[in-house]
Amino acid sequence: MIQAIFRYIRGYVKIRIQGYSPERFLNLCRYHQILIWGLTPRANAYEMYLTLDGFRKLRPIIRKTHTKVVLLERYGLPFFIRKHRKRKAFLTGAVICIGLLFFYSSYIWDIHFEGNDKWTDQTLLEFLDTKEVCPGMPKSKVDCSQIVKDIRAQYDDIVWVSASMDGSRLRIQIKENEDTFREEGAEGEQKAPFKETPQKPDGVEGQPVNGSETLPPTDLVASQDGVITSIITRSGVPKVHVGDAVKKGDLLVSGRVEVLNDAAEVIGYQYQQSDADIFADTQMAYEDQIPLTYQKKTYDPYEQRRLWYIRLGPFRVSAGTLSHDFPKWEKYTEEHQLRLGENFYLPVDYGMICIKSYQTKEKKYPKQKIQEILTKNFEHFSKEMEEKGIQICENSVKIHVYENSAIASGTLYLNQKITETAETEILTIERNEQDESNGSDG
Amino acid sequence: MDHERENEGLKSRLASAVGMPKDVVLGAAVVTLLGDSEVCIENYRGIIEYTECLIRVQAKGKQIRLQGRHLQIEYYTNDEMKITGTICSLEFCK
Repeated sequence: MIQAIFRYIRGYVKIRIQGYSPERFLNLCRYHQILIWGLTPRANAYEMYLTLDGFRKLRPIIRKTHTKVVLLERYGLPFFIRKHRKRKAFLTGAVICIGLLFFYSSYIWDIHFEGNDKWTDQTLLEFLDTKEVCPGMPKSKVDCSQIVKDIRAQYDDIVWVSASMDGSRLRIQIKENEDTFREEGAEGEQKAPFKETPQKPDGVEGQPVNGSETLPPTDLVASQDGVITSIITRSGVPKVHVGDAVKKGDLLVSGRVEVLNDAAEVIGYQYQQSDADIFADTQMAYEDQIPLTYQKKTYDPYEQRRLWYIRLGPFRVSAGTLSHDFPKWEKYTEEHQLRLGENFYLPVDYGMICIKSYQTKEKKYPKQKIQEILTKNFEHFSKEMEEKGIQICENSVKIHVYENSAIASGTLYLNQKITETAETEILTIERNEQDESNGSDG
Repeated sequence: MDHERENEGLKSRLASAVGMPKDVVLGAAVVTLLGDSEVCIENYRGIIEYTECLIRVQAKGKQIRLQGRHLQIEYYTNDEMKITGTICSLEFCK
């Protein structure tokens, strides 16, 4: 294949030789290193393919062997160019095409993200846009290491970033910290103030060392009533045991560590941020109410209006109509933006607006359906709890059907994390002064 | 003539003793057959005759006679030639 391409580029010819001794012609070609291929015998003659360079060297051989050479066909780029040499517009077009290809390939036309689950492509694109990284920017202005640094500085839970250029595509690979997903609700708000701190990524891990000086000390208190089932304390002094019943607001882990002297007297306190996993059995009331009737919508496929449109900047071209006199109707809008590749959006939108007419009719759920809906809702609720890390150990939920509504209600017995942070009370010790005065006296 | 034959014999024995390839020392033709559809000949002198059913190739001291049907020379270079078609027989003759 490659050989065929090279032959095409350099050009080759098909010739027929005839004469007294064509074999001698072949042997002389071989001797003069002229490449011959596709040699076929024809009545008293041979046909073969030769390179253009080889063909130019044939004259002395022809004279020597007294053979007659007929040029049958010409193939390849040199002949193609010669044939079309008068087509100036074609040539100019080809040159411009190649030039534009070179020119446009020096720009970034697409930004591709990989490995992002939590942060959507759109969010990351908008962020990069603020850093002046967007599709259509020249490649020479792309600083991959700066992009990596910016993303790391902005998003705490992106633990690894790599930016590279694949042709005219900027590829950004991301590794997110999956552990932060679960605790997002509780910790998301806390983390925000630290985002803008000028600390570099390599200094992030150093916080606990000097944390007692910079961060205010905290206790952990119970966020709701329950019976403790497990305690794992990482820092602070636990004040409860497994099996203890606690009420909302009770102190679970204290951030104040007592410093004792030899006589087991408190001579001072050290403060720190408490950190512990404390799980407790808790209870929760569950209630889900649905009406027995519902409004059923019936759409009329003939009673609808549609409008298609294309919008280019401020100009809009549309077809169809939206004028109607339906008593009840729904409006659907579908809009797409034209884009090149994945993320290079062009200022052209197209879409469709549809207005559908409908009639409503009150209907009653059958008993089985009510049970099905309430069960489904409860299953959905259980799943949500599980995703939050709350375990449902037992439940006493029952379905009651009344005249106008149906209710699923009961108590859920849960096992969940019940810690909540609270500021530690700072205590001062008065005895210190007495001790010191005694010491000075003695 | 006898002297030449003697010389060849000596060379052949020498090549066997030293373990050198005979195509290099003696200039013997290397014929590679691939089934009955393809032949590769190296170390030859030239073509003597070429038709669709017979190809005679001159090698050092001997002629290679190839008979078959629809014989075609795929390529023909200074080192090697490749013949395709249906090969019926291959002979070496003086």
